[in-house]
Amino acid sequence: MPVGARLRSILLAALVAVVLPAVAAAQGLIANLPRNETLILENPEGTIKNAGWFNIWAINAGSQSNGLQQAALDTLWYIDPNRGLDGVWQNSLAAEKPIYNADFTEMTVKLRPGIYWSDGVEFTSADVAYTVATQIKHKNMRWSAALGLNVDSIETPDPTTVRFKLKKPNSRFHALFTVRWNAIWIMPKHVFEKVEDPVKFDFNKPVSLGAYVLHNWDPDGRWYIWRRREDWQRTTLGSYGKPGPTYLAYVDPGPPDKRVIAQMNHELDVIHDVAPEGMFTLAKQSKSSVAWFKGFPYAHPDPTLPALIFNAQNELFKSRDVRWALALLIDIKAVSMASYRGAATISAIGVPPTGRHPEAYHEPLQDWLQDFELDTGKRKIKPYDRGIGQQIADMLRPSMGDQIPSDPKAIAAAFGAGWWKTDPQAAAELMEKAGFKKVGASWHTPDGKPFTVRVVVEGEARPVMTRAGSMIVEQWRRAGIDAKVDVAQGTLVTRRAAGDFDALISWSVETWGGHQDLSFFLDSWHSQFVAPPGTPQPPRNWQRWSHPDLDKLIEAIRNIGFDDPKGLELGREYVKIAVREMPTIPLMAYNVFTVMDTTYWTGYPTAADPYTDPVPNWANSRAMFVRLKPKG
Amino acid sequence: MPSYATYLAQRFGQFLLVVFIGINLTYIITHATPIDPVEQSIAAVTSFGNTSPEAIAAMRQSLRELYGLNGAPSEQYLAFWRRIVTADFGPSLSAFPTPVSSLIARALPWTIGLLATATVLTWALGNLLGGLAGYYQDKISLKVLAVIAMALHPVPYYIVAFVLLVMFGYLWPLLPIAGGYAINIEQGFNLGFVLSVLSHALLPALSLILVGLGGWFLGMRALTANIVGEDYVVYAELAGVDRRRILGSYIMRNALLPQVTGLALSLGAIFNGAIITEQVFGYPGVGALLVAGVYAGDYGLVLGVATVSIIGVSAAVLIIDLIYPLIDPRVRTV
Repeated sequence: MPVGARLRSILLAALVAVVLPAVAAAQGLIANLPRNETLILENPEGTIKNAGWFNIWAINAGSQSNGLQQAALDTLWYIDPNRGLDGVWQNSLAAEKPIYNADFTEMTVKLRPGIYWSDGVEFTSADVAYTVATQIKHKNMRWSAALGLNVDSIETPDPTTVRFKLKKPNSRFHALFTVRWNAIWIMPKHVFEKVEDPVKFDFNKPVSLGAYVLHNWDPDGRWYIWRRREDWQRTTLGSYGKPGPTYLAYVDPGPPDKRVIAQMNHELDVIHDVAPEGMFTLAKQSKSSVAWFKGFPYAHPDPTLPALIFNAQNELFKSRDVRWALALLIDIKAVSMASYRGAATISAIGVPPTGRHPEAYHEPLQDWLQDFELDTGKRKIKPYDRGIGQQIADMLRPSMGDQIPSDPKAIAAAFGAGWWKTDPQAAAELMEKAGFKKVGASWHTPDGKPFTVRVVVEGEARPVMTRAGSMIVEQWRRAGIDAKVDVAQGTLVTRRAAGDFDALISWSVETWGGHQDLSFFLDSWHSQFVAPPGTPQPPRNWQRWSHPDLDKLIEAIRNIGFDDPKGLELGREYVKIAVREMPTIPLMAYNVFTVMDTTYWTGYPTAADPYTDPVPNWANSRAMFVRLKPKG
Repeated sequence: MPSYATYLAQRFGQFLLVVFIGINLTYIITHATPIDPVEQSIAAVTSFGNTSPEAIAAMRQSLRELYGLNGAPSEQYLAFWRRIVTADFGPSLSAFPTPVSSLIARALPWTIGLLATATVLTWALGNLLGGLAGYYQDKISLKVLAVIAMALHPVPYYIVAFVLLVMFGYLWPLLPIAGGYAINIEQGFNLGFVLSVLSHALLPALSLILVGLGGWFLGMRALTANIVGEDYVVYAELAGVDRRRILGSYIMRNALLPQVTGLALSLGAIFNGAIITEQVFGYPGVGALLVAGVYAGDYGLVLGVATVSIIGVSAAVLIIDLIYPLIDPRVRTV
């Protein structure tokens, strides 16, 4: 046989022997599970290095959002970032809201009876007390410090009552046990008390307090499958009805392009997030894919506020005139286009434009913002333009057509309300007021050096924010400032804590979303927590900025209850202080392009039915399970 | 003339020196990283949830103690070498308290399985086809193959990988696009699992073969083409020796020596993992582990993977050095 013919035969035989059976075996993403009973969700943590670790109470040892916190764990309360199944506040393991004494040094919790762990043991107050005592005892456990600083003693007078005595007044102590993404999860006393060292215990296989139990998991950390409990009625989620999916599969689908392909192939029901371009592709090509908004801008606005954060310990940014000047050099429409391709929900104020915040803060403050005056040193200007959201919508309408809403309320919900007018002349006046000088085309600092600003961005790990930072740098450069993009990549977290930046694209504002109280982030902005230069700053006041008026306001919030109507007034006062001082330049909500495939499941949360946050790594997303119905 | 034992001892000494220097350099580089594993852990814990600044300050101190970052640099360095000689890389800081050696042991078989198979296949196919193309220079099919190999060779790997993903994952969805095996499959030595592993390895392997083939093909074709004109080949042809024998025993055998060196180095480099392949195809392996370790500032993990890689590459060079004199006695006198 000629050489060529022999070679062809060998190659053909190899192809038949290896490729064809392998291709045949490739059919079906999930083996041995009914696809129409399985909800497949992305776990954005990716592939988990130590896959068999389920002890979430150890610091950062294993996965959190592999279904563990969404499907198997529970705690006292949840606050929904949107509207909630039956209201924003959910009593979960607690039967009612926390009961504080007059001076907030004692908190009593009434627990819900009839809740069971997946191994048949009843949940009681002993589990709560054990969780607190064990965490305090082991300082390397995740919530040890938070509990140790607050809890003086804990009493369990009966199986459904827990009384915390606190070391100092804390009107927000319950927040530690209230889910906003996560919270302190309750430990199964009957499991952990038999373990020698709770820090080194892997909790594998986990005993569940949620409506699902672990069914199977990948030793290589790519997927986890949870099965609905037979006794789902004996869980807190069960009080809302039977969860739809029999199985939940939390998977690592790979990089964004593969998430898009996987959903087009109906192998990924819920994408956590993709780049705007991926979203647009799915909107165009996958008829079964839906997102939070029916049309543009699609994404779910998380209660997180990306901003340009100044390092207030840097001499150049100590002047609010400089900070305001830099804000007035930004064209937010261009930033919206560059970052989210227009699919951004902008905010001029230091509160995310999402959940219940627009009705609590953005809308009532529109007139105040419209009338707000800024003294440039030469004149007074009114910098706010309440029509910028509308202008972004108008800009997008020629290319996006009917997908752009025309109702002003819908436009404000999708694109945000107003923002600051780009005003280079006023910016120049403010710079001069602060002692800066323009030499030729370049700005110089009061001591005669070129005004250089390094804007730190994260890089490819967060492309949308990186594009926003790059656009702002470009706009500042055009105005004569020596601005530079500084790509931090994996060092961002370390540099942010160390204050190693002039300005930074990140966020120091995170809120409950569904509740007006701002203490979730605002308490950390008190001057008592500002670290000296060169030492690590605790979250979240990355700008290392403080103000006596804000301190007084934070102290006032500490002395009122969580639901006290005064909290809203104080919250609005914070907004006004932040507008006057501009310690950070708020940009937009953190829009998450969560995309849901309706091929197998219907009933996903959307802007039209905002019963919860669809973003699947949030523990709050468990609400979705009881509303999902199999299609057909 | 030095004995083979002396030669062996010299080469082994060089091997130990290279490993020692390599590991020390890796230690210095990883400890010079601006990424602080404590801050990474704190960020992971606090980036969404509720916390208080006072609690974070306490947690920061606890983590420094837990991760063993409080000792003097010299103490940390000595402790590192004490662990290395017992093949213990300590706990992973980003997956504490899981030992680094467990993480590597879990990932390494996937990398070795994929890369060893792909490397050997690429080498064998590339050399075989290159040898044929260099000898049978007038064959049209081999000329076409040469054009394809030359066209593919300079294409960046990630582009080939992405094209394959779109072709076989979306346009013609025949093959899985992520992972090492199907979700929820029963793992073990059973037909279903083996076929699932094969089907998941096909695309990454194909991408590596397509891109790698050209280099071996072109190298071998050039080597063969040079030898074809040698006197002893011409003489063999004139003497009527069978052409297949001329190709196999007279030409390719002589041309293979540098290719064998290349193969050994490629096999040694397997322990680096195929970082891009593992990222693009979501394939489990040490490359993905290394990237995760770098981003988390996990010194222990990065050092563990780098040490395995240094030993792998150095051992491959050592083996080649030891085998060469047996293949070609002239080397012993060098």
